[in-house]
Amino acid sequence: MPRITYIEYNGKEHVLDLAPGMSLMQGAVANDVRGIIGECGGACSCATCHVYVAPEWVDRVGAKSANEEALLEEVCDAQPNSRLSCQIQVTDALDGLVVRLPAKQV
Amino acid sequence: MSNNSEAGPGGKAIYWDSFNPEISANPYSLYKRLRDEAPLYYNKEHDFYAVSRFADVERCLADHQSFSSARGDIFEIIKANIDVPPGMFIWEDPPEHTAYRAVVSRVFTPRRMNDLAGKIRAYCASCLDPLVGTGRIDFIADLGAKLPGGVIGMLLGIPEQDRDIVRERVEASLRTEAGQPMSVDQTSFQGEGFEEYIDWRVKNPSSDLMTELLGVEFQDATGTRRKLTREEVLIFVNVIAGAGNETTNRLIGWIGRVLSDYPEQRREIAANSALIPAAIEEILRLDPPSNQVARYVTRDVEIHGQTVAAGSVLQCLIAAANRDERRYSDPDRFDVHREAAPHLAFGRGIHACLGSALARVEGRIALEEILKRFPDWTVDLENARMSPSSSTRGWDAVPAFTH
Repeated sequence: MPRITYIEYNGKEHVLDLAPGMSLMQGAVANDVRGIIGECGGACSCATCHVYVAPEWVDRVGAKSANEEALLEEVCDAQPNSRLSCQIQVTDALDGLVVRLPAKQV
Repeated sequence: MSNNSEAGPGGKAIYWDSFNPEISANPYSLYKRLRDEAPLYYNKEHDFYAVSRFADVERCLADHQSFSSARGDIFEIIKANIDVPPGMFIWEDPPEHTAYRAVVSRVFTPRRMNDLAGKIRAYCASCLDPLVGTGRIDFIADLGAKLPGGVIGMLLGIPEQDRDIVRERVEASLRTEAGQPMSVDQTSFQGEGFEEYIDWRVKNPSSDLMTELLGVEFQDATGTRRKLTREEVLIFVNVIAGAGNETTNRLIGWIGRVLSDYPEQRREIAANSALIPAAIEEILRLDPPSNQVARYVTRDVEIHGQTVAAGSVLQCLIAAANRDERRYSDPDRFDVHREAAPHLAFGRGIHACLGSALARVEGRIALEEILKRFPDWTVDLENARMSPSSSTRGWDAVPAFTH
């Protein structure tokens, strides 16, 4: 199973083996990773599942939709490597992915 | 096996409804019985089902196809079988809901709501400064009844002198009589109270949400690119003004009520403002202003081994789910250090609260500004009054002595 590492803002690491098909947001929420809210349940509408993708993975996690692009302007502390984790699906190709969580979602 | 008004294993019959003020004043031991003994509860008298465990409420909110909002999200509204006017997106399903909500979801975002912090703080200061040195505060009359309405009014571009009048009209439409189901008034969500502003704003555009709604182009559910109709704008404004007022008002009341009972933690939070966001999440978890939401069941579903038939009404008891010991240990205790798993106070899924970022920012700033001036208070319980309204749960008056 693909192994995804979430690093909280305070440095705490969560290393999870996630089933392909779920989103990074779902993986986090299902495994008590604090720092991702995901209130809209993955509808790309609340901007509270914000993560920073490790630089070497930015071009490997899939393209952003126009909707996601627009909402990424609305997260707190947006960076060039910001993504909405509900829009990134876990696949075998993402085995080893590292994402960092922002200081706050809202 | 039906669980309505029959003796549960606890020996005493279980009865719950959403508009009994005695239940609402202190529902939590009843909620525990529901979670443990009747996780699928059926109320024969009013003909509805209810779920109370966190996992079940979360599942029902996530499955908008089986559990639809298209007949309303309030029990009395669903039963009344009203026609939902187009644009009342809180009571619509996809694709209409998707198209309408996209228009406003970019407005109430974490970044934009945090940008309002300066103005919200100034509003709080104007409400709270006059109380310094008086030894008294009423969390509702002095802050809850003013701040949320003022902020929404500011966002909508309603002139300052008119915001109180508008707020009162909207609140009146949401009020219920003690013990009675809400009487459904079709006009209460048609935008009454805002027509003059809409028409005036058309002629006097400014940089506010109402002007934005009048001019925005969007792709409607049929795929047509167009502007919102005047009726749709009216409804949007009414939904936003209605939804964002009473709920946040209640949150401020609960800040006053809950923290009165936890003086040590309150003082800790006063000394360390980094604890404020966690404090607000705990207050939302413990006493969520939207304490239940209803759904219309569109197809036969199985819940805890029973079939809930299509056509049923299901109440999702958010306030019960937020204290589910299956998710939160010592759930009735306010614990600012809890590092809590996310709660359901703002719902979940496609209808999750559009204004949650605004509510959080307002709640945090309100608490911070209160604690700066009044780190210590005790609620005057004899004179505190719970609201009889069943649309949200909270207080009409939270008077307190400040020390």
